[in-house]
Amino acid sequence: MNKILKLAIVLFLVCAVAAGALGFVNNMTAPIIFAQAQAKTAAAFASVMQAEGYEEIEFDKDGFPTVVTIHRATNGAGHVVTSTFSGAQGNITLACGVDPDFKCTGISVIEHSETSGLGANAASTAEVGVKFRAQFVGQDESIALSNAGGTIDALTGATITSRSIAGAVAESIRVVKSLG
Amino acid sequence: MNPKKQFTEGLITNNPVLVQQIGMCATMAITTTLFNGVGMGLSVLIILTCCNVVISLIRKIIPGEIRLAIFVVVIATFVTIVDLLLQAYVPALSEALGVFIPLIVVNCIIIGRAEAFCQKMPVGACFLDGIFQGFGYTVVLIIMCVVREFLGAGRFGGGLIDISNGFRFTLDGTGAGIQIFPESYGASILSLPFGGFLTLGVLIAVMQYALKKSELKKAALAEQAKAKEEKEEDE
Repeated sequence: MNKILKLAIVLFLVCAVAAGALGFVNNMTAPIIFAQAQAKTAAAFASVMQAEGYEEIEFDKDGFPTVVTIHRATNGAGHVVTSTFSGAQGNITLACGVDPDFKCTGISVIEHSETSGLGANAASTAEVGVKFRAQFVGQDESIALSNAGGTIDALTGATITSRSIAGAVAESIRVVKSLG
Repeated sequence: MNPKKQFTEGLITNNPVLVQQIGMCATMAITTTLFNGVGMGLSVLIILTCCNVVISLIRKIIPGEIRLAIFVVVIATFVTIVDLLLQAYVPALSEALGVFIPLIVVNCIIIGRAEAFCQKMPVGACFLDGIFQGFGYTVVLIIMCVVREFLGAGRFGGGLIDISNGFRFTLDGTGAGIQIFPESYGASILSLPFGGFLTLGVLIAVMQYALKKSELKKAALAEQAKAKEEKEEDE
């Protein structure tokens, strides 16, 4: 009995010290991490639409399970939709701008875990990524890869990533249409 | 305590990846650019050193029955601290390494060293062990990164080096690296996990060959010395 008590106390003390240390570090880094996440989203928004400010609006969350948020540009340039959906390796978070004519104004990958050198090119700032994303500008909800009758050329070796991004863009346009 | 011996052990004769063959999962997964390799290596080095020191300090008060539980708590604490610091101050690295930083918790290098070394040894030796084993791990990662990045994408120093505006190191992972031949000529299979297996296998084979050779050489020398001695005795 005494032995068990001693084990429990030692383990408790070690955990208490560990928890204290973690609390301290978390307290210190949380505001910085939060600010970085915000800056990243803001940069993604800026790259898909020209607007001074945004207001977040409500939408039918059950009908569009992959859509996370919709922001309306205050200057009437359209909406920015963020959605999270599965790519080839893990979840992709994408910002997609939709103008008042329900055409895509641009896309930006906020977060992903695709294969580096293949699917990760979708988020790359190198020429291959910029060219891939530029194809989405002006597309409507019938968007599809070129092998499925559309006009989007998939990234080399990353058909699944490309297809899931095209699907998310179509979904983003549909959700904006549903707002009426 | 013998720092020189510990150094050779960490780097060569008892290298964590190539000889002990532990911590291989992350080794194969993240070694696609030099930036990832250096970042992961240094993270492991820091976490390993901190854990070694703490575990060595508390080794006398840890009851044997719950030592593994305590090791895991200590390791998880340091990993989380490093993870939070990376997210806050080096977000590019945190993004590139993704899930592999939290996974250092179950990286066998750290728990392996705690179990095999730190629960018996004084603090100073454990501190050095952390640095040298971590260094050995980092060196292997760097070799793998350089090989895979060169053959897979024709590049050197991706993320870490930028030459578009004179040579400089980019610590935020934005550098494009030095393009040695066009990326489209590279065997991109080497950038995939398969290439990780391939590169690691070849490295382990080379290491085992070199170790075996030096062992044979040592044995031959010893035999020669013995033969000489016997000869002298005969005379």
